[in-house]
Amino acid sequence: MSRVAAASPPPRSVWDSLNPVRLLGELSETRYWMYLLLLPSALLITAVVLYPTVYGFQMSFHEMRLNRPALGTGFVGLKHYARMVSDPIFWTSLVNTAAWVTSSIILEFLVGLIAALALNRNLPGTKVLAVLILIPYFLPNVVAGHMWALMLDPRLGVINDVLVRIGWLESYKAWFADPTTAMGAAIVVEVWHSFPFFTLLIMAGLKGIPADLYKAADIDGAGAFSQLRLITLPMLKTIIAAAVILRVIGLVNSPDLLLILTSGGPGRSTQVLSLYAFQTAYKDFNFGYAGALSVVMFVLLMGFAYIYIRLSKVNQD
Amino acid sequence: MTTRFDRRSVLKLGGGLLAASALTPITGAFAQSKSINYWHTFTSQSEAAGLESVMALFKAAHPDIAVTPENIPNPEFMAKITAAVVANTRPSVTMVSSERFQDLLAMGALTDITDRVANWERRSDFSDQRFDSITADGKVYGVPGFAFVDWIYYRKDWFEEAGIAVPTTLAELYDAAVKLTDPSANRYGFALRGGPGGQNFIINMMEAFGAKLIQADGSISLDREKAIAGLTFYSDLAKNAAPSSAPNDGFRQIIEGFQTGQTAMVYHHTGSYQDIASKLEPGVQFGTMAVPTGPVNRVARLAYAYNTITKAEDADAAWEWIKFWGEPDAAVAFLEKTGYFPASTTAAADQRIAGNPMYAAASETLGFGIPQPSFPGAAGWAEGTVLPAFQRILIGQATPEQAADEIIAGLAEATQ
Repeated sequence: MSRVAAASPPPRSVWDSLNPVRLLGELSETRYWMYLLLLPSALLITAVVLYPTVYGFQMSFHEMRLNRPALGTGFVGLKHYARMVSDPIFWTSLVNTAAWVTSSIILEFLVGLIAALALNRNLPGTKVLAVLILIPYFLPNVVAGHMWALMLDPRLGVINDVLVRIGWLESYKAWFADPTTAMGAAIVVEVWHSFPFFTLLIMAGLKGIPADLYKAADIDGAGAFSQLRLITLPMLKTIIAAAVILRVIGLVNSPDLLLILTSGGPGRSTQVLSLYAFQTAYKDFNFGYAGALSVVMFVLLMGFAYIYIRLSKVNQD
Repeated sequence: MTTRFDRRSVLKLGGGLLAASALTPITGAFAQSKSINYWHTFTSQSEAAGLESVMALFKAAHPDIAVTPENIPNPEFMAKITAAVVANTRPSVTMVSSERFQDLLAMGALTDITDRVANWERRSDFSDQRFDSITADGKVYGVPGFAFVDWIYYRKDWFEEAGIAVPTTLAELYDAAVKLTDPSANRYGFALRGGPGGQNFIINMMEAFGAKLIQADGSISLDREKAIAGLTFYSDLAKNAAPSSAPNDGFRQIIEGFQTGQTAMVYHHTGSYQDIASKLEPGVQFGTMAVPTGPVNRVARLAYAYNTITKAEDADAAWEWIKFWGEPDAAVAFLEKTGYFPASTTAAADQRIAGNPMYAAASETLGFGIPQPSFPGAAGWAEGTVLPAFQRILIGQATPEQAADEIIAGLAEATQ
């Protein structure tokens, strides 16, 4: 008799069956509890990330010219994408974007790696140097852009002055007015500004590589370059992959440095996709076409990240 | 000694503090009951000083209205105002240049102030033409704050030394520029703005050669052959008399080039007068001339910076601020700090302006100057198509014919 009483829970009062704390306690023991805990984050992500992204996609299929309200905001299907195919500025921008991103990433990585390896040697003064080397990265793009525009100025620029004094140039050069040097000069500014990002991440990675590996390599007679190739770079693979993806996203999406230095000129020689999308939205007020350009950038970045992660085999570690 | 707080004394203290806290904002409100913000695109030191002068005069005349100026750099202006309109975080008052009017009107950024302007006690100080570029369908959307009067600064000492007369035609200007050019001495005849902001000068040149943008019937088009003639002239001037940096030279570069003795002439408006006068002696080292006549038209822009009400809630205080710019004292104070010409004819007749020979060219331009062509999409077309197309001529990537075709196609797309 007593066993039966112990197996059956006492009948609930009305208050008990409505008690929210008790109900919550019961829910916490079901499999739905985890979904409930995820709900606030899911709502936040939906509001902050998903909604604008979906809105951007939706905009690319609609007419949306703020200075032509008579055209309305109707659905136009693939009109903007079709226009893109025959738009020479789009193709020029795409090629320039590839050149701008590829050159900047390679140089930023190389300079960042060299700086990180040098700073990781723990020589006297390297701590101070580590802080100093990060300064460019702390500068806003707008400040860095204007500063370099002045340093490379064809009338007053200190860099022109130095190059003329040491005999590398006969006279001051207008770096941003010549299509053969404008992109190169802008890449130099970009590399100067962003290489510390690689330095920072690579230095963090270097601290995590066991010193025993290098000692063993020394004993086996491996030289510095072999150690770099066979130990350092493989051990930094994950960090390098993350840094490259983040920087590529930043470079593809940020038009500010080029906007300040060249505005995409001369001609279209430094016109990149992000700058073209920005100008289409805020100079032509054609948000539909600008949305389509942004969607293309989004797809390109997703494709790049997927292929890069597959090729670098980061996921297999 | 101990202080004893009983219930009554605590209540008294609380009541007193409550009364004091309630009175403080009220007394503050008596001193300054309205607050408005003002979006402007002033960037140079002289412009900032000019704005400060006007604000000081306004504060003395209207101590009850606090104006908070907010600088929006020109390149970012349209992006910021578009975002503010879409998000409904508009400023109370916004400075609007004439070429941006149609775009801002189309996006619903501006408030109709026709009645306020009609009943304004200083309305008669302004001719009707002053309001043309801020009027649509008979409705007025702003008050001219000051004028952009195009003219040309020239090195008077160099012209005298070379025995060259002040040009009256574009052909004479070209000859003078070429004569004064000596690349070996890093000296050039003309500071050509082929970079940011240079688009309007290119349009002016095409129009000077007969390629008018807005036709008599109101339609928008460009005559190809005349446009080619204008582009050929202007690109030849760049190649033969301008520094090699011309394709990227913006405002800072052309003014610095003139200030530092690199260039002999610079085409700009009166707003840069004080900046130039801070480095070169007016009347001795540099002079000012009205824009010379072209083969078909004489094109010097007489544009206005309008102040507009962009937030209906603050309209009364905003109106006080925007009409204050029409007061002669405010207009002259602004001119003395910057060089920007008053929009008010009463202020322009002030002896401090009319009696100064350096402003004679600007006064002359008031007689023949014309407004910048304005239609929805004009600013985007000028900056996004005209400027790059012209730059492509300068860097050898296009002929004037190809650039003209690009410009005409871009115009058709912008206006379709």
